[in-house]
Amino acid sequence: MATEVTVKIAGEAGQGIQTIGTLLANVCHNAGLFVFSVNDFESRIRGGYSFNILRISEDPLIAPSGKPDILVAIDEKSADRDMDTHADGGIVLLNTKEQKDLPDHVHAVSFDELASSAGGRIASNTVAAGMLLSILGSGFDRLEKELTDQFSRKGEKVLDLNKKAAFAGFEKGEAVPFSEKLKFESSGNGNVLMSGAYAAALGALASNCRVFSFYPMSPATGIMASAAEFTGRLPIVVEQAEDELAAVNMAIGSSFAGVRSLTSTSGGGFSLMTEGLGLAAMTETPLVIINGQRPGPATGLPTRTAQADLLFTITASQDEFPRFVLAPGTVLETFSAVKKAFHLSDKYQVPAIVLLDQFLCDSVMTEKGTLEMDSRGDEKNLECRDSKPGKEQSGETGQPYLRYRFSENGISDRRIPGTSKALVRSTANEHDQEGNITEDAEIRTKMVDKRHSKIEYMKEEMDPPSIFSKESAVLLAGWGSSRGSIMESCLTLRSLGYDVGWLIFHDIWPLDWDQVSEVVTDRKLILVEQNRTCQLGRLIRQQTGIAFSDSVRKYDGRPLYPDFITENVKKMMEQ
Amino acid sequence: MVSTEDFDNDVENKWCPGCGNFPILDAMKESFSELDLPPEKLFLVSGIGQAGKTPNFLNCNMCHTLHGRALCVATGAKIANRNLNIVVNSGDGDCYGEGGNHFMAAIRRNIDLTLLVHNNQVYGLTKGQASPTSTLGMKTKMQRQGTFSVPFNPLAVAMVSGAGFVARGFAGDKEQLAGLIRRAMQYRGFAMIDILQPCVSFNTVNTMKWYKDRAAPVEETDHDESDLKRALDLVLQDPEETISTGLLYENKSSSPGDFHRRLDVLTEESLLDQSIDMQTLQSLLP
Repeated sequence: MATEVTVKIAGEAGQGIQTIGTLLANVCHNAGLFVFSVNDFESRIRGGYSFNILRISEDPLIAPSGKPDILVAIDEKSADRDMDTHADGGIVLLNTKEQKDLPDHVHAVSFDELASSAGGRIASNTVAAGMLLSILGSGFDRLEKELTDQFSRKGEKVLDLNKKAAFAGFEKGEAVPFSEKLKFESSGNGNVLMSGAYAAALGALASNCRVFSFYPMSPATGIMASAAEFTGRLPIVVEQAEDELAAVNMAIGSSFAGVRSLTSTSGGGFSLMTEGLGLAAMTETPLVIINGQRPGPATGLPTRTAQADLLFTITASQDEFPRFVLAPGTVLETFSAVKKAFHLSDKYQVPAIVLLDQFLCDSVMTEKGTLEMDSRGDEKNLECRDSKPGKEQSGETGQPYLRYRFSENGISDRRIPGTSKALVRSTANEHDQEGNITEDAEIRTKMVDKRHSKIEYMKEEMDPPSIFSKESAVLLAGWGSSRGSIMESCLTLRSLGYDVGWLIFHDIWPLDWDQVSEVVTDRKLILVEQNRTCQLGRLIRQQTGIAFSDSVRKYDGRPLYPDFITENVKKMMEQ
Repeated sequence: MVSTEDFDNDVENKWCPGCGNFPILDAMKESFSELDLPPEKLFLVSGIGQAGKTPNFLNCNMCHTLHGRALCVATGAKIANRNLNIVVNSGDGDCYGEGGNHFMAAIRRNIDLTLLVHNNQVYGLTKGQASPTSTLGMKTKMQRQGTFSVPFNPLAVAMVSGAGFVARGFAGDKEQLAGLIRRAMQYRGFAMIDILQPCVSFNTVNTMKWYKDRAAPVEETDHDESDLKRALDLVLQDPEETISTGLLYENKSSSPGDFHRRLDVLTEESLLDQSIDMQTLQSLLP
């Protein structure tokens, strides 16, 4: 059986918890191991209680683990809080200067003192990383290489200090008994290691998105921060808007003028953006919004996770209009979903919303597969400035170009202002085919029908939910980032003899619900969701008439771990 | 040569007869034709209100957006395509009320576009409520005891916020207005013209006569538009006495430069004409 170890690094915000986690994740990833790293932190810059929990395995991972084998307590408060939570046979590394009477599995060590002896207290996190890696079975050369990658641009002195500090920690770790050694391979496995936020930004860049307008809001800021890393090196503009109203309307303006644009936010900001969402819909301007969900309402829990904006996102804005809603579950799915959102938003001239959450944005994971950078073959045609309209529409033969020309599939030729003789005329008011305001009852009805006629075609673009063991009497149903935990729990339950399968949605709206009906008829559905009222369950019932029978719900803002699902489902199935 | 007729269209005009918007519409056509700007090179963006309807009555590219948000849409469009000549039509409620934050941000961003605020000191589209620029104490059906808020001074705010081109037009002086619009469009950076305009249906205080009695064109004085302090004095005058019109302030230096000049990626080529090279992107990945 493959070895796996979970390491929890806990302490106050500002103590460098993430720095240790990142060093560890990179070294493990480069040695062919799989990492699933979750950041759990408070909405504060210093103090409090934060942790980074890394699950490291020789086999691919799809979910996080909440049970540490090794606890690194950067401060004593964290040690007190976490001392009992670690798995049997686990160890604790307690960062302390005092020599006290401690149980055998608790090892006192002062990262600060070791760092000071190596030349500077600032490198205490590197000491911790060194110690952890030696306990896990890594060779020192791997850490040395990682440190060189990270610190060589900061100069010889900084690099030297960190190497010395790492070695001091490494030596210290050799004396700590720990049986679960991981197998560090000579080279990486070519897999992807990144956060959902970074994957989302790359998905946009790979779609030739060149304008990123945003207003900072956790947990979506990381997406824009990732895009900002490429400013000056790629032809992109990352602009911090004065508020979310501006962010979404700037994105619409850029898109209207022919350049793909992205805005990202969380629920509160998305609430403000619903106004702009309607503008994009009414003017049939492509628009991609990423909503990185967090618990609400209002400010809620700013740095924590939730899946409670599903129904809001599907219906946001006054009146009705077609839109795409995609909810990827992994980093590679996020990358693909953002690309798909751009592609579909352009093709159908409707808004596309990608639903992420804090868990997916901030977690870093190794995933099998690669990033497909090449744009789809038809991308050029979708940049509508290159589209070739029929002569009668070109505006060059005396007849006016009709921006909102009625068509069988509801899609009209979209031209870009300033690139041809055709005049592009749009209004947020109801309008006629030419784009001029109208209050004519007949045209109004036809325009609403035109916009809605796209839906039947849009449905065909959507991937059906992922189904496993569909003949099982019980299906665990969920969506988005819960995916991995549901899958892992399902497999655990099956190994324990429970007859369960899964039904997991990533493309959510619009869907061919008849297909879903076929799957869920006569099945007992247990919804697994991170909201209070089972929003996916309600949606399934609304669209198929089929009610769910039970649910595992979690809305405390913390990540959903497989064990939590397993324990709850076991109870339900034993009743 | 582009003529004013090139901007005519057959869309039914929905303003009240005698509305102060008509001369503004004429002045726009005149300045566009004088600048020899064909309709396809022009992009009008507007918000909501009677002013927001303006682009509908002109033959050119246009996007009639949401209340208060015209400047945001226009900013996004200009970032995408620096070659578009963008004019924003907004009103006192649209720009200084609903869109106040965007107004402040557009000035600071110094994005190269022209903002025309049709300022009639009242809400016309929603039938006569007080606006951010209504005179203190003005009575309306909704403000029965008169407004309690002091009027917003857009030009003073623009000047102290760093706007580089600040002008006041008057719907009763079409020739001056057309000249101002032309100069504003030639200005490299954010250029605003607050245009005084009578509302014949809902503003019985600030009538055409009231404005005419107070309007004082700066061209007829020795005003130096490069002098910010003197310009500020002019917009701090008591409007009950004198309202200075014309180009009040123009920052002629290239400092600090408009948005496009400050961003390397936008200085040479329009973003519309650039693309992300996928191989380059791949090579930049960690």
